[in-house]
Amino acid sequence: MAENIKLTKKVLNRIVFILSIIGVIIAVYVLYGFIKKTSIVCVNEGCEIVRKSPYSYPLGIPVPLVGLIGYFVLMILTFARSVSQDLKLLKAILAIAVFGVLFVGWFTYTEIFYIKAVCTWCAISALNMLIIFIIGLKMYQLERRTK
Amino acid sequence: MKLSGESKFLIGIVLVTVILVIGGIFFLSRPAPAFTCQEILTSDSYKKGNEKARNCLIEFSDFQCPACGSFYPQVKNVVEDNKDNLVFAYRHFPLDQHEQAWPAALAAEAAGEQGKFWEMHDYIFENQENLSEQFLLEAAEKLGLDKENFEAAYKEKKYQDKINRDLTDGRKFGVDATPTFFLNGKKLNLFSRTDLDKAVEEAIKK
Repeated sequence: MAENIKLTKKVLNRIVFILSIIGVIIAVYVLYGFIKKTSIVCVNEGCEIVRKSPYSYPLGIPVPLVGLIGYFVLMILTFARSVSQDLKLLKAILAIAVFGVLFVGWFTYTEIFYIKAVCTWCAISALNMLIIFIIGLKMYQLERRTK
Repeated sequence: MKLSGESKFLIGIVLVTVILVIGGIFFLSRPAPAFTCQEILTSDSYKKGNEKARNCLIEFSDFQCPACGSFYPQVKNVVEDNKDNLVFAYRHFPLDQHEQAWPAALAAEAAGEQGKFWEMHDYIFENQENLSEQFLLEAAEKLGLDKENFEAAYKEKKYQDKINRDLTDGRKFGVDATPTFFLNGKKLNLFSRTDLDKAVEEAIKK
């Protein structure tokens, strides 16, 4: 039983690690479009509308930069968990995931109601963050159970 | 710090990802195959500039696509400024998601039958936000086209095959978005509208 939980924890950590890498890649690609002001390949025209909207620069910061930092830190933290079992790491992951979910929630709301366009990459990233958050909760639950 | 087996596994994932991303970028940034002007230019496509010029610029475009609309003045200027050294051709690439793209292409061809393709082309792009079936019929009147002949060609989709052929050709040449430009047979990767001017100027200087 304990072995099973250990394995599950390891697998969940790996999933979050991979999802974070995916998040970093998406954020780098979209951020490149923001900085170079070039069009972003998208299934609809939403990415272009979103890229050009002032709402995509809260406090002057391009939204994908926030994503890049968030996912990068998540990647480092999940990697650190393969070296250390410190519970603080998991708490930090959860804290970032909570912030991440709130952030993507706010941005998706802004996209729909203010920008009136949805960027596919942002939607994928929002879903990605939500999955990380759910897995983070599951990992925390498992950690508490084995304490 | 001693790395655990798991750490090494995660590093492995990062390495594989980096290799895949670099490979992907390398693969995607390979220069696209170049074609000749003759291959991309068709005899019945509408052309502007000097048909005997050494340089050719072909645009695959959709009358309803916003990016095509924003490129329109730029293209017009480039072609006008280089009319002695360049032949420009417009080819159709109406996208499925644009409801008015096909009707607009049919209307432009129907106007072309009466020698007013470019007038219709310009009128559509200049009023792109108003595009509708009604707008196209009114445009024909405004441009002084023979109403009966225009409506016959437009409503009976007389030039549907020509537009379909342009679409098929476009896909064959690797068009996957609009507008796509081919300069002397080479697909241009434009990051901004001014890149078009630069590319044309450089090609003419050669």
